[in-house]
Amino acid sequence: MRAYLAYLRGAVLVGMVYRLGFIFIVLGNVLYMIIAYFLWRSIYGGSASIHGLTFDQALLYVALGSTVFILLKTYADWGMAQEIRDGTVAVFLTKPIDYQFYTFFTNLGFPLTSLITVVAPTVILLVFVFRIHFAFGAGYFFFPVSLLLAFIISFHLDYLVGLSGFYTESIWGISITKEIIVSVLSGMLLPLQFFPAAIQQVLAWLPFQAMYFTPLMMVTKPDQGVGVYLAMLGVQIAWACVTFLLCRLVYGQAIKVLRVAGG
Amino acid sequence: MLSLGEYLRLYFYIEAQYIKAQMQYRADFFISSIGMFFSSLATLSIFVVLFNSIPNLAGWSLMEMVFIYAFYMVAISPMQILFDNIWWIRFHVQSGSFLKYYFRPMNMLFYYMSERFDIKGLTQLAVGIILLVYSSIQLKIEWSAAKLLLMPVAVFSASLVLIAIAVMAGSSAFWLVNSYPVLALSWRLREFAPYPLTIFDGIFRFVFTFILPIGFIAFYPAQFFLRPADISPLVYLTPVIGILLFALMYRVWTLGVNSYSGTGS
Amino acid sequence: MTLIHLQELSKHFKILNRHEGLKGAFRDLFSTDFRTVRAVDGISFDIESGEIVGYIGPNGAGKSTTIKMMTGILKPTGGTLLVNGHSPYENRIHQAMIMGVVFGQRTQLWWDLPVIESFKILREVYKIEKKMFDAHLAMFDDLVGLKALFSQQVRTLSLGQRMLCDITASFLHNPQVVFLDEPTIGLDVSIKAKIRSVILELNRTRNTTIILTTHDLGDVQALCRRIIIIDKGKILYDGEIGKVTKLFGAYRTLKLQINDYSDATLAALREGLNGQFGVGCGTTIAQTEEFWTDVTVDQARTRLSDVLGYVMSNLSVADVRIVEISMEDVVRRVYDGALQ
Repeated sequence: MRAYLAYLRGAVLVGMVYRLGFIFIVLGNVLYMIIAYFLWRSIYGGSASIHGLTFDQALLYVALGSTVFILLKTYADWGMAQEIRDGTVAVFLTKPIDYQFYTFFTNLGFPLTSLITVVAPTVILLVFVFRIHFAFGAGYFFFPVSLLLAFIISFHLDYLVGLSGFYTESIWGISITKEIIVSVLSGMLLPLQFFPAAIQQVLAWLPFQAMYFTPLMMVTKPDQGVGVYLAMLGVQIAWACVTFLLCRLVYGQAIKVLRVAGG
Repeated sequence: MLSLGEYLRLYFYIEAQYIKAQMQYRADFFISSIGMFFSSLATLSIFVVLFNSIPNLAGWSLMEMVFIYAFYMVAISPMQILFDNIWWIRFHVQSGSFLKYYFRPMNMLFYYMSERFDIKGLTQLAVGIILLVYSSIQLKIEWSAAKLLLMPVAVFSASLVLIAIAVMAGSSAFWLVNSYPVLALSWRLREFAPYPLTIFDGIFRFVFTFILPIGFIAFYPAQFFLRPADISPLVYLTPVIGILLFALMYRVWTLGVNSYSGTGS
Repeated sequence: MTLIHLQELSKHFKILNRHEGLKGAFRDLFSTDFRTVRAVDGISFDIESGEIVGYIGPNGAGKSTTIKMMTGILKPTGGTLLVNGHSPYENRIHQAMIMGVVFGQRTQLWWDLPVIESFKILREVYKIEKKMFDAHLAMFDDLVGLKALFSQQVRTLSLGQRMLCDITASFLHNPQVVFLDEPTIGLDVSIKAKIRSVILELNRTRNTTIILTTHDLGDVQALCRRIIIIDKGKILYDGEIGKVTKLFGAYRTLKLQINDYSDATLAALREGLNGQFGVGCGTTIAQTEEFWTDVTVDQARTRLSDVLGYVMSNLSVADVRIVEISMEDVVRRVYDGALQ
């Protein structure tokens, strides 16, 4: 375990060296929130609520969605593809380290630092500039746990995409397809309540909403019963396990196909 | 020293060879094209879903949004296809392999960009053109000779805007260690180009028109064809903005190139 | 005629002072604490047309910085620099027509394209006449059998083949000066020999000036008549290669892994060698790598086999290696006045 924490510390340090990078990420998020504000103001026109969401709730949802996107964004898939392409992956096969855990902890570094540098300004903006009314409730306490689970599920998906690097060089196509599918079907861009009922039914059976919709709703509607949130967490845990198993399985297969560069 | 004609001829030659070499990797071509196809339709699908719940967006109908979106896809294609190498600039700059671009008697921007030709961008271009035709039929747009002639001009000017933004963002690699967020930011920016600028109030409309001019990538030029009756004079500014921005971008690139010293001693 | 002229040339860099640890890294985010590094500190020399000059020095000496200034990448901080009568930095595209550059590890050819296509592109870029182009390709084919590689993609070539192609590419347009940076690194002996003979032939037939930066002393001995040694931004030596080859030819280093190693062992060994061979025997001892003790022998004064014999019979040695003197060692000795 200590070895993995060492990797994490390394990743955090590396993240801090890139000083100006942070400013741009924050800027990007601020920009997105401004655009989202106007866009949703237009969408709501004069309506008080659409599909059970008020303007404040919808804006909070979308702004947080973008922030969560930043927190969940690892480049695990690209990093893995590179390690496979230049052969460094072979190094890990010789060490007493689990490749999946190593990748997980290495990619946890940047999101952790982003927690402070990106989330804080976002919240400040939402509260003081946009004057969003935050309802308060039990949902807030479940949110951090939910976020962590969302990260785990997201990581597993990235990991699976990265594993495809064992089979093909075309990681871009696979990565972008996954990203598109996730951003549309997870409720990241648009709250799922806006989708036709039939589609919502289907989406309930997919892991994507556990990455965005579930944690976001905890903050958007924080005053539902504790039981509701526990159930949501339960679904997330289930998906975290399922995706975890999937990763182990595919990894087992992928290793057999290992073709390492160099010689 | 090469003349413009010679540069063009050289470019065609290099890219023809490059495409020939790339076509050998058929699997990659297909997978990438599929990815590109999905990527093209993502925002559009969100629009369609959204319009289930609202009648129009700031006065724009779904089909008008589709037209703007299609225009947007066509306008970003030159950037996607011809200037793709900008995504690798951080890698080249940090590993020192960027130095090789200094050694040939060629314009460095030309040399750098000619090394990559993004074939999958053609998928996006195709989808854009198809949607453009489809939506203009649905909207019953009347295509006068003037409009037909001005369409390529509009697209060209709009494409210059995105190219300028992206290359300027990429040029930050010459000064910043972690320049990727800058490029990523500029990419996020352009995602809002298909949205109608009328949703913004005064100051922000100003910002997105003159400071971060994403309005000129699709919204303003598209208006000429959608609502020629009530366009603001801004629409005619598109080519000017495009050229000015491109000139600015070239200045920034040159500054970056001159300040780069490579890695090592 | 003087092709390259340097007078009091300098290049200074400003580097951020970084601090350790998490707290330090956080502070660095807002720091404005810079220091000036004098990569090149007032150097002067002239290079005539047709010379083959070895430009050597340890890592961090300022070699690459000087080359980057000569090739127009970096703007000098002070002093004069003229290549073919012009300042390289102000005239990059113009200068590029008379220059060739080979990078060592990194190819300048188009990675995905067949070799011949890269050459054809260069022909367009440098506006090489068909006659000269064909003549050059024929010449390289004669020298190293290059035609066999023409249709292969650059990415499929071995390092040695790629190097030959890169060198060909750098001479295609008949440049006045060619900069070769580590041209034989990582290559086996037979390819090295081929490359060296190609370079010599080109210099002989076309009078191309060649500036060679390398860590490989074999390259230097085979090719250069003149050597310029740079260290810490200053010129240490500029002159005939003869004097310097005496330094490398004469020295061999015995690398020993001594069992039960301690500081006392080193001292005892030093005393013992002095006692056995005399104090002026020119043998030095150093600990440069962990677990390895270097005993460098001046073969002009003491026989290597004698020293080896002494060491083996008086110490418990786990492993032995015999190596040529390194570039770093040569520079250190020049610095300590070995050429006086």
